[in-house]
Amino acid sequence: MSTLTIDQIVEAIDITCDTVIRNEKYFSDLDGLAGDGDFGTSLATGFKVIKAELPEIDKSAVGAMLLKISMICSKHVGGSSGPIWGTGFMRGGMVAKGLEEVNYQQLTDMVGSAIEGIVARGGAKRGDKTLLDALWPIHEKMQEMDGSDLGAVLAAVTAEADKAIDATRSSVAHRGRASQVGERSANTPDPGIVGIATILYDWCKHYGVDYTPNAAELNR
Amino acid sequence: MKKFVNNPENFVPEFMAGVIAANGDLLEAIPEFQLIKRKNVDASKVAIVQGSGSGHEPAHVMAVGPGMLTAACQGPVFAAPPVDACLETIKSVATDAGVLVLVNNYQGDRMAWDMASEMAEAEGIKVVQFHINDDVAVQDSLYTVGRRGVAGNFFVMKACGAAAEAGASLEEVVAIAEKVNNNVRTMGVALTSCIPPAKGDPIFDIGDDEMEVGVGIHGEPGRERTKMKSAAEITKILYDAVQSDLPFSSGDRVALMVNGLGGTPPAELYVVYNEAAKLAGETGLTIARNYVGEYCTAIEMAGCSLTMLKLDDELEKLLDAPAQTACRIF
Repeated sequence: MSTLTIDQIVEAIDITCDTVIRNEKYFSDLDGLAGDGDFGTSLATGFKVIKAELPEIDKSAVGAMLLKISMICSKHVGGSSGPIWGTGFMRGGMVAKGLEEVNYQQLTDMVGSAIEGIVARGGAKRGDKTLLDALWPIHEKMQEMDGSDLGAVLAAVTAEADKAIDATRSSVAHRGRASQVGERSANTPDPGIVGIATILYDWCKHYGVDYTPNAAELNR
Repeated sequence: MKKFVNNPENFVPEFMAGVIAANGDLLEAIPEFQLIKRKNVDASKVAIVQGSGSGHEPAHVMAVGPGMLTAACQGPVFAAPPVDACLETIKSVATDAGVLVLVNNYQGDRMAWDMASEMAEAEGIKVVQFHINDDVAVQDSLYTVGRRGVAGNFFVMKACGAAAEAGASLEEVVAIAEKVNNNVRTMGVALTSCIPPAKGDPIFDIGDDEMEVGVGIHGEPGRERTKMKSAAEITKILYDAVQSDLPFSSGDRVALMVNGLGGTPPAELYVVYNEAAKLAGETGLTIARNYVGEYCTAIEMAGCSLTMLKLDDELEKLLDAPAQTACRIF
């Protein structure tokens, strides 16, 4: 079973910061189709702080590092995205408490715990058209695989997030700001799901994992 | 805008520094987290904390003191405090008896305190969170799912603070919070808007001859925008909404609060109280305790809210218990 060191996790977070910052306007434009158009800016504001503080963050354990990231998210990411993303990092950090590296089983448990926390925070259900509609299938795919080839896992979970974009495109949002515009949210992609898919696709590119996306939002 | 401000960015820290300067005997601050706590926390007693946006003074940091809150933190004006401040607030006063977190029902505040409570629990602190939702004006609002928490918050703090001071367990203090929240109802009205210092402009527009009935304490819309009416007519609108909601009925003993929203002079609040007391008499209520003044404001908004709490012997005793805070009116 493969393991990830704290430095490898820091690297993945650093790439994530770049993705979020680079797509600030694009994510906000997507959000503007049905929401209040602040998703990209909210997220980028927080991830700029994460990017700036990442070199100095306490890296003695994965858990402590992720809790610090969680704090930055909840403090600097605006709107409801702050607590949602902050909770994800917090729950992941709690699973990884005291660990200097995480194995595949622990990584899978971190994703599962992050999902549980986000559900508890926002109360979203399957099909409500939130980022959880990407995270649930990702977690299930991770549970199915044995993790011996992390590249294969990355390609597989990217495919799940990619699918989630189109699977929820036609549905009406039931949570978050987009739920307030009712039918107008149909036929627009969910910015949170696109965000997750974009992050994973950028990881594929960075780590040299072959993946050919389907959703228009990843083929820009 | 004319306000006593140096740099708008420093408004909240400077206000807090003033509270500490004036109350060094009672209180101390952790400025980094915009947090005010009691000096000499008794480790054997339940600690009670709260925190939300600034602009509602004397709620919440000015409600810290013996018999009231143990600690409170605040965010920027009308914005929830960050999670690290909430967590630090819990940790700064965490006692063996546990910590009760009182949260007015707003999504931003709830999410920040949810996260902070979870983190505190992971560190082995006993924490229970309780949500206050006394505003009868609207079911859901701009910032809430469900009813908003407004001036009725005072009675929850006061009763829980007294119970904790008397040595009640965490479970018992939570039961008090539930009892108060189940029996307290509020509705407010705005005559003018208000100006957050960092914004510099009124938060909403309202005509000289208009009022917002059921307004929230951040200027959120209420039930309706209507023409101005007489004090008696306005008080009747508020009273009827509050009285019919619980409902309060003949023979009930109540605490009646007329809370100023920041820009209404005390004399006007007493005009409203006089009308409210007459209406309470007509319903057959006995006003066992009354509160007229500013308890939960919206900066300098002109307006008021009317709160009633149905009492029993236990609650009456808790409201009677001594308390001392920065504003010295509690």
